[in-house]
Order: sequence, then structure tokens, then C-alpha cells
Amino acid sequence: MDPRAWTRFRKNKGAFLGLALVALATLSAVAGPSLAPHDPNEQFRDTLIDGRGLPKGPLAVPDHLLGADTLGRDELSRLLHGGAVTMLVAFLATALAVSLGTLIGVTSGFFRGALDATFMRLVDLLLSLPFLLLAIAIKRVVADPGLEVLVLILALLSWTTLARVVRAKTLQVRELEYVLAARALGMSNARILLRHVLPNVAGPIIVLGTTLVAQLILFESALSFLGLGVEPPNASWGSMLREGSELIDSAPRLLLYPAAFIVMTVFGFNLLGEGLRDAFDPKE
Amino acid sequence: MPSTRRNEADLSARPGAHEAHAARVAQRRRRDAVGCVVPVLGFASLLSLVMALSPDRPDGPRYEGAGDPTPRNGGTFVFHHESNVRSLDPQVAYDELSTMAIRLVFDGLLDYDHEGQLVPSLAMAVPEPREEGKVFRFRLRRGVRFHALPGVPEGRELTAEDVRFTMERLLRKETGSPGAGFYEAIEGAVAFREGEAAAIAGLRVLDRYTVEFRLTEPDQSFLYVMAMPFAYPVARETFAHFGSEADQHPAGTGPFVFEGWERGVRLTFRRNERYWRDHVGPDRMVYLENIQRHLAGLRFMNGQIDAVHRQTLDHWALFSEAERWANTRLTFPRASIWGVLMNHEMPPFDDVHFRRAVSFAIDREGWAQARGHLIQPTGQPLPPAITGYDPELPSRQFYDLDRAKEEMALAGYPDGYPREIEYWSSDGDIARVYAELLQQDLARIGVRIRIRQVSFAVFLEQTGKPKTVELLMGGWNIDYPDPSSFLEPLFHSKNHRPANSSNRAHYQSAELDDLLDRARQETNRERRAAMYREASEFLAKDVAWAFAYLPLTQEVWQPYVMNYRPHPIWAEDYRDVWLDLPKRRVARSLLGAGTTTPAAFLPLARLRGTR
Repeated sequence: MDPRAWTRFRKNKGAFLGLALVALATLSAVAGPSLAPHDPNEQFRDTLIDGRGLPKGPLAVPDHLLGADTLGRDELSRLLHGGAVTMLVAFLATALAVSLGTLIGVTSGFFRGALDATFMRLVDLLLSLPFLLLAIAIKRVVADPGLEVLVLILALLSWTTLARVVRAKTLQVRELEYVLAARALGMSNARILLRHVLPNVAGPIIVLGTTLVAQLILFESALSFLGLGVEPPNASWGSMLREGSELIDSAPRLLLYPAAFIVMTVFGFNLLGEGLRDAFDPKE
Repeated sequence: MPSTRRNEADLSARPGAHEAHAARVAQRRRRDAVGCVVPVLGFASLLSLVMALSPDRPDGPRYEGAGDPTPRNGGTFVFHHESNVRSLDPQVAYDELSTMAIRLVFDGLLDYDHEGQLVPSLAMAVPEPREEGKVFRFRLRRGVRFHALPGVPEGRELTAEDVRFTMERLLRKETGSPGAGFYEAIEGAVAFREGEAAAIAGLRVLDRYTVEFRLTEPDQSFLYVMAMPFAYPVARETFAHFGSEADQHPAGTGPFVFEGWERGVRLTFRRNERYWRDHVGPDRMVYLENIQRHLAGLRFMNGQIDAVHRQTLDHWALFSEAERWANTRLTFPRASIWGVLMNHEMPPFDDVHFRRAVSFAIDREGWAQARGHLIQPTGQPLPPAITGYDPELPSRQFYDLDRAKEEMALAGYPDGYPREIEYWSSDGDIARVYAELLQQDLARIGVRIRIRQVSFAVFLEQTGKPKTVELLMGGWNIDYPDPSSFLEPLFHSKNHRPANSSNRAHYQSAELDDLLDRARQETNRERRAAMYREASEFLAKDVAWAFAYLPLTQEVWQPYVMNYRPHPIWAEDYRDVWLDLPKRRVARSLLGAGTTTPAAFLPLARLRGTR
């Protein structure tokens, strides 16, 4: 990796804003559930719902800072727990997708041949499928869809871009003189991959991985909004959007809170990703 | 996923770019600062733009001034439903959405007035029972014409032979009518259904306009059954002409003629100029399918839909609080019952203590609170309008957490039930809300449920099979105003079948079967009512279901929609409405002029107004 990357990154204000937002989102995901003032699934039907069945607003009842959701549950606690779920899904799926994409990209690019052709046609195939439709189809077919299924779906459908880029970079790297030298010295393929190729493709992996988190947060939200995400009564930001949309006229805040969280987190990851890209690859 | 092209281009090595580097760094820094401010500003300004341009929430109809109160023909009436119409075949359709359309096109021999009393329709009179209630003779109205559709000759008159054709079609196995079971009391109906007889022995055509039914034994609900849409006479020619597509080309005798059906989107009907009864109505009826509640409410406020019958809590709060809607809004108790069904053939629900625990754990008042009191809590199988309902029923079910816990202990689970139970409900946000309400209530007695939402078709199919679904939310709408309309399909063991059971709790009790069979034949009103009350008591005590609530529909219609009243039997029955066109013109022109909000200056608002 390029040692000057950090210097360049430090000078980039946008990237720093992104880092701050990401740190904040991650912190709220990690610490949020323990900070939540109430059980996120407890329905306060008597105190937090008015006579018309509408939830009470922020501070209508003193210890409910952001008021209630559609079923009289504490909105703040749900946001904190929901964020943890959304972030966990996005991070796990990204980790999986990055491992898979790197593995396939590096092997394809390094060994070429039939293996490469097969993998790249698979990538073409996956890229030609409409992501959301496919995710919905899988979610419907699986008999017992839990969070792990969601993570798997997201990961299996999103490693392709990364694999492509890593392969392209590997193709470049394998022709460079130090790889030739290593080969001439009799280094094994595995060692060349680990010592020379991987460190040199790490830049794009980090960059793409960061933006992938942002994309997956959006996809998780979209799936949850369609009712295919987390199971009730649990919350994620996407499912909160869906539940809130019923009361868009009288309680638009139920849409705005989770939407704001999603926007800020995704924005943060994208800014960070851009900043990292500029840091690792300053040429334009 | 987004294309990879940009990343690849950026990441590939391109030597020779160093010259302009210094200049670009400076430029880049400026861009970074702009880059993070722009999206924030953009988001904020978009939001404020949307808020500024979105129309105010109307606090009343657009125009409610004077119109012309003389009933007249003309105009287009637009109504909707959340889901889609399955069939226009009266013998096959068995859901309230399809019935809404079928009742525009078809008439029955008998019908109900707005008090829920049987009245003659295609029959000249409600027949008097003969031979101790075993024989009913219907005399048909003369000069009733079928709609002239392809295949149906112009001016084709309704005769007794059409009634015979309809009943035979209804009972034939190939038709697959879910209502055939209602008509098994007719002599020879079962033999005909099984193919053992060429005709229905108990159905005789006496002359061109008279048809007689003979029953195997007296049946107090037979006339009600003859008023169900299953028995609405159809024109046999359409079946010859359209074959298997006949359900999309219905030809009846009703006030509206079927015009077209874009599946899943809309049905259109035009007024029947040759209707046999004096009738005033819109020239066209448009039935929109698959319009969600929230959208329907918005379109209603925009004057694009003329009547809505279900709203989000949000919209209902708006309609019910605004004084100006007071004359054209109404909550109306539907004769339906909703509850939690526990499969009596599957543990742990085969234990009455466990079922009682569930029933005591349901906080029915809390549910009503959460649903804005648009449901009424209940604890017995019959709705209030039905004979046999008793507000003081001794074993009516209610919420009592302490007793629920005692019953759990009696069932052998003082510390809660160890396994997670799968709970089934149909699709949709409202169904999910009830699922979550139940989930919290049951968690209090240590019963954990996992919510499984499936499409309505799958839900009906799976819950109708024995030993498949343990726990579900179910409801039943009235078919005819008699307690047998609820208690027999839901609890009689004859409706527990290998498939398509309407008895979805799979409840079986010889004692109850016997009571229901005797009540069906009982001619003395008071004794009959007492028997159904006894059956209710039995079912509530045995927790055949955990009965939960009675729904209220929330209806709102435009001030220019005249003569609309909710019907006690038929959901959203619009066949007698007419439109006050002068009034509507004013309302529409106000909408089109659009001087009230900036939104009207948007191109779309113009389009909306001139529809």
C-alpha cells in the first residue's frame, strides 16, 4: 500500500466528514442497544397512543424523547436497535462479499485460463440480473427467512463488482517486474499472491468495500421497506420507514427519523469511500 | 448494481498525468468542500420545496353548497378496493370484492333491504314455506331481460329454466363452486353433485315463470341461502359462447351492464337502459382494483375517487375530526367476527387450559386503543346484530393476565411454553399490526410466536388443511343474517375437510354439531335463539377461538354522491347511488382552478384537475 495515502487522506476535508459520520453510525450501532432507554418492542398502548390510534409525538410523555411509533413503541429505542440491525447486516454482508470478491478476483486474474473465463461469465450473469427482484424471489422461496438469509442474499449478489476490479488490478500486477523477479527466484504462487499481489490490490478493495457498505445499507432498507427484511417485531431502519409511511400525514417524523439516519450513514460511507479512493489513487 | 466502469477507469494506471497534478490538487480541495455541502443543501432544499408545494390537507369537501336534489342519470362513479377481484362468476366468487362487482351486474331472486330484511327481487314475492317448511315456490317477475352481450340474444327474457340452469351449474362438480354446500338441503342435490342423477330431484320448473324447491328436511336458512350471490341467475348463452372465459363476460339482469375488465387495474360498467325496475344511477361505474388505503384517501381528497371505505388511521383522524365531512362520513359495524384461531388438533392447543390462557392474555381493549377504536372488543362468536348474541353471555371471553397465567400453570407450563409457535396471517401492514399486538400479549404469558405473513391465496389454502397451521388470525363475514351463517362454517365438524375447510380452527365437537343441526330445523323463533345462545356459550367456554374484535368500516363519500347508505349485509353496495352533477361540476371546477395552493401550478396538478 502507498505510504503517502494517509498524508493525502488527512488533507481531504470531505473524507474526514465521512469518517466522522461513519464513526458516529458505527458507535451508535455498537453502543446504541445498551443506550436505548426502553425495550424497543414494548408497546405502550395506553400511554403512547391517543384516542384516534395515532402515536404521541416527541416528549409528549417525558421519558420518550422521540415519541412513539405506530404501535406505541419508543421511537428512539427502535432507532438505536434498528440501526444496530441495519449496520450489522450491512457489515457482515460486506465482509462476506469482499472476501468472496477478492478470492475470485485474485485467482481469476492471477491464473487466467478457463477458471478466469468461467468466473467472469458468472459475474456477467449476476450483473445482468435485476438485484432487487432476485433478492425478493430468493426471500420468498426460502422457507424460513432469518437475518442470516438476508446477509447471504446481499453478499452473494454484491461481490461481482469487486471481483471485476480486483481481477483487473491483478492482471496488471502479475506482469510487473517484481512479480517476474519473485517467480524467477522460485517463489511459490501462494507466496507471490500473498506477498506481492494482495498488498497491491488492497487499495481498490478498501475503497470498494467502503462504498459497498453504503450500498448494502440502502438495499437492506429497500428490502425491509418491501417487508422482506428483519422479522417483526424487530426493527431496522428500512422496516421503520415502511411502518411510518402509513402515517405520513399526521406523523411524518416517523419517516424522517429513519430516513435521516439512513441518508447520513450512507452519505458518510460514500464520502469516506471517495476520500479513500483519492488517497490511494491520486491520479485523475 | 451500478456499473463498474468508472472505478476501473480510475484505478487503472495511466502514467503521464503528473504535470497538471498540482493545479488539480487545489481544484480538488475546493471541490471537496463544495462536494459535502451540496448534497446537504440539495437534500434540505428538495425537502423544503416538496413541503412548500404539497397541497394543504383539506379540512372538508371542496364544495358542499347547493346542488340539484332531483334524482337523475348521468356521470361516472368511481370506487375502489385494496385488493383484486378474483372472478365475476357469481357461482364461483366468494369474497366481498367480487361481490361488489357481481351485484352491479346480477340480481338475485331475493335480496335484503337496508334493515337486513329479505325482500323480493327477481321473484314476485318472498315465498311462503309449504308442507311444514320443506317446499318453497318462487314466482318470477315477467319481462326481466338479460343484458345483450355477445352470444345473448337481444331482449332475452329471464325464465324459470334459467334458475334451473343456474342451480345445476352451481351444484356441478366441474364448476367448483365453494358455495355448493349451502344448497345440499335441496332434495337430490347431493346425488346430482356426485353425478348419480341427471337432474336435481327437488327442483321442478312448474311453468315459464314458476320454479319449486323441495328440501330433504325443513331448513330455516334456505331462503337466506337463495339470496346469496351463488344463486344469482346467469344467462346460459354466455357459457356456450365464451367457454372457460365466461367469468370475464358476465351477463346478468342487474342495473349495470359489464363493459370491460383490465385485470388487476379496473372494471367498467355502463347503466342498463332496460333495467326492469325504476332505477336512477350514473351512466358509468368504474371499479379500481389494488388501490392501497393511503393512496385511495389521497385520491379521494383530490376528487378522483367518489367513495372510500377503509382508511389509514391518519386519514380517518382527518375525516372524523373535520366538521365539514360530518354529513358524508360514517362508521358502520360490519357483521363480521375476528379472532385468534388455535388448531384444536395440534398440541399445545388441544388443551383447553392452554387455549384459555391465550384467550385471557389478549388485551382486547388495548388492541382497540392501538387501532384508534375502529374495532370493538368482543369475546363471543356472534356479532351483536345476530340472533343469539348476548352482551351478558356468562362465559364471554375477556382480558385477565392473572387468570391467563393460572391457566398456563394448569396446562403444565407455569414458566412459559418452551417452543416458538408459528403464527400465520395474510399479507399486508394491517395484518402485521395485529400480529405484533398478539405477539406482545402472548409474550406476557411466556408464549413466543414467530410471525409468518403469506399471500391471501396461500393463507386460505394452507389454513384450510388439517394439522398444518397451528395458530392464525381469522375472520368471517356475514353471508346471510342468521347465526347459522357464522356458527356452521366456522365450528361444525362437517366443515372440517381434508382441504378447503372453512372450519380453520379444525374444531370438532359432537355435542355442538348436534345442537347446530337441531337449531337449523327449529321453527320456533325463541327456542331457536336460545339454542344459538347456548351454542355461543359452549364455544366461548371451550375457547373454540379466542374471539377478539368486531370491525367497524369507516366510510366517506363525496357530497355529490347521493342515496348512499352502508348495507348491513353487502359490503360497499353502490348499485343505488346517483350523482348530483351540478354540485360535482362546481367541486371539479374548484379543483381545476387550483388557486388555493402553489401545487396547482405544477403540470401534474393541471392534468389531475381536468380528468
